[in-house]
Amino acid sequence: MSKPKDKDGKNTGTTRRDFLRKAGYAGAAALAGSATLMANTDNPDSQATWAEWFQGNYRLMTDQEKKEAIERLEKRYSAQYGKKVTVDDAPAIDGVLFGYALNIQKCIGCRRCVKACVKENNQSRTNTEIEWIRVIRMEKGQFSLEDMDKGYPAEAGFDHGVQVGGNAYKPAGVVLEGQHYYQPKKVPEKDAFYFPIACMQCEKPPCVKVCPVRTTYRDPDGIVVIDYNWCIGCRMCIGACPYWARRFNWGEPNLPKEEMNPKTHYLGNRPRMKGVAEKCTFCIQRSRRGRYTACVEVCPVGARKFGNLLDPESEVRRILARKRVFRLKADLNTYPKFFYFID
Amino acid sequence: MKTIRYASVVFSTAVFLIMSAGAVYADNTDTRKVIECYESRQEGSPVTRRDIEPGWPNVKCSSTSEGVLWWGDPFDGTIPMGDMPIEADYSRGEAVVRPRIPYIDRNKLYTICTEACHNGQYVPVPESKKPRLLKMHKDIVPNSLDLQHGRGGIWCLDCHNAENRATLVDNFGGEISFNQPQKLCGKCHGPIYRDWRDGIHGKRIGMWDKAGKKRWWVCTECHNPHDVQQGDRNSGFAQLPPEMAPELPKGMPNVDHERLEHGAGH
Ligand code: HEC
Ligand code: HEC
Ligand code: HEC
Repeated sequence: MSKPKDKDGKNTGTTRRDFLRKAGYAGAAALAGSATLMANTDNPDSQATWAEWFQGNYRLMTDQEKKEAIERLEKRYSAQYGKKVTVDDAPAIDGVLFGYALNIQKCIGCRRCVKACVKENNQSRTNTEIEWIRVIRMEKGQFSLEDMDKGYPAEAGFDHGVQVGGNAYKPAGVVLEGQHYYQPKKVPEKDAFYFPIACMQCEKPPCVKVCPVRTTYRDPDGIVVIDYNWCIGCRMCIGACPYWARRFNWGEPNLPKEEMNPKTHYLGNRPRMKGVAEKCTFCIQRSRRGRYTACVEVCPVGARKFGNLLDPESEVRRILARKRVFRLKADLNTYPKFFYFID
Repeated sequence: MKTIRYASVVFSTAVFLIMSAGAVYADNTDTRKVIECYESRQEGSPVTRRDIEPGWPNVKCSSTSEGVLWWGDPFDGTIPMGDMPIEADYSRGEAVVRPRIPYIDRNKLYTICTEACHNGQYVPVPESKKPRLLKMHKDIVPNSLDLQHGRGGIWCLDCHNAENRATLVDNFGGEISFNQPQKLCGKCHGPIYRDWRDGIHGKRIGMWDKAGKKRWWVCTECHNPHDVQQGDRNSGFAQLPPEMAPELPKGMPNVDHERLEHGAGH
């Protein structure tokens, strides 16, 4: 639902989703009244809400408009979370294309990256818990003599004559056998390996292609970002993503004050609202200020590497040059900027 | 009448569910503030949480695994890495490390024992590097004739300096500080050492730009030099407790559902 245009293609109004809903309840006249009230109130929350109805797509906003939007948000969040919250709008750095490399051989499945990401990026903690990284446990396959005569499908009953010769296989960890909810006392477990996935920051991102309001787009440093304010919650991007990277705020996000990270970016970890999509942004609030992402820093085995793909001496480039590297679902021609490698 | 009773059952179930859900979730929101946690090696890389500014801690610790989850200041408690013999990244960017000596000295082993015990008189300097059964240090190496590093090929004094126990030893008998174990390990693990210098093996935190300041993890922050085999696991890295699994999706009754209902080989 983008803003309706008049005959000349200019924006005519303010029909954000909330606006429509409220208009439906209250009727236009009553709304005009309450709107005036809200615009005049001291409450930073309603001030911001009101202004946001008129706010343009982030990419089309002038510098002045961006500045105002950010001031509004800083005021609102600071009041809401009871501490000084900053909202950064740092643009992409010239000559930088971010890339990521993950050593799949070293990953032990401890999920510290998952939780570090949540701490850094202000995801909803509970009642829809949102996590941007998923670690999938894969079973190491094996072949055994006892399974020699076990057919596939095993108990179907009608597979006589289908199975020819020996089978003898146990899950080989290559198809749909990933497990998300493993909870052993210690990791890594014997006979398992682990496969973390998150947004791949594709060069040709399917999520961007399908977004009807163009609120998600790819910045020059390769980060696929979302202007939450323009997200209409249609969830097309979630369906389009082949990597299961996007999450949806089905309810009002649940972010305790004391847990909130006050250093935020407009396109990154600022608090989200109900009904918008979100995903990994390579910690845009950190990376555009030169800092490693939270997941890179926390990985106890040092499996995660991050840097500038345009710098031949960066860690990621050295890995591309020296190690055996692959990208997930390369056949889809999404050209991820996230690489997996082994020693 | 029936509907009302039904509704109240639904209501109380809902309340119960919400309450029990709250209890489960509480674990995830770090209500239990953990102050002492570890970085990579569970025994061997301790760190204490404290506020460096009001409301801004040096680290945040996990209440599940007691591992560090987040660095408020990646350079907290670090010192310059010091000279390295081979030209690499650290000659350009600012490289810092967390010193190992404070950890090794946690029981005053470093300050007292290197002076009072290994002073050449109380414990004489060993005449040869031939492995022998040691009565001391069983907490560190339970059986000195079965050192879990090198599969019988190396001895304490390939790493520790016979002349000066406050240091490690290089290939020429020279001293290496405990704060720079990479120089020691690099003697025997050339390819890994090369990867480490280039930032591929091990890890760095701080600034990603090549000229930016970085904290480098030294080898012993991840590997216990006296046990790089970990029994049958044959791994240089000890197992760790994992963080909590994600919430189960609605309608999925238990963790084994995936496996039992949609089975292996599905
Ligand atoms: C592969 C090299 C290597 C070998 C072999 C080795 N050590 Fe060590 N040792 C180290 C390093 C490195 C440290 C410092 C550990 C750290 O930084 O945590 C150390 C520390 C120690 C400490 C103090 C550790 C503490 O945590 O209190 C003792 C005691 C010790 N070693 C005894 C021995 C004995 C006895 C042997 C032989 C049976 C031995 N080491 C063999 C490398 C080695
Ligand atoms: C004197 C030579 C020597 C030094 C010094 C040395 N190592 Fe080793 N290391 C070995 C040998 C030999 C092996 C055994 C390789 C094998 O399993 O066959 C080994 C094995 C290992 C392994 C397990 C390798 C594997 O493939 O499973 C790790 C991890 C390791 N060393 C780490 C270190 C670290 C960390 C240091 C520095 C504190 C260090 N080593 C210092 C000789 C050395
Ligand atoms: C951030 C943690 C970390 C640091 C720092 C680190 N390592 Fe490792 N190292 C690992 C992990 C994890 C493995 C994989 C262990 C396994 O496969 O079980 C590993 C494996 C190894 C191995 C076995 C060979 C291999 O590739 O599996 C050697 C030898 C080794 N490391 C030596 C070193 C040396 C020498 C240094 C310092 C120059 C060092 N490590 C620093 C985490 C680290």
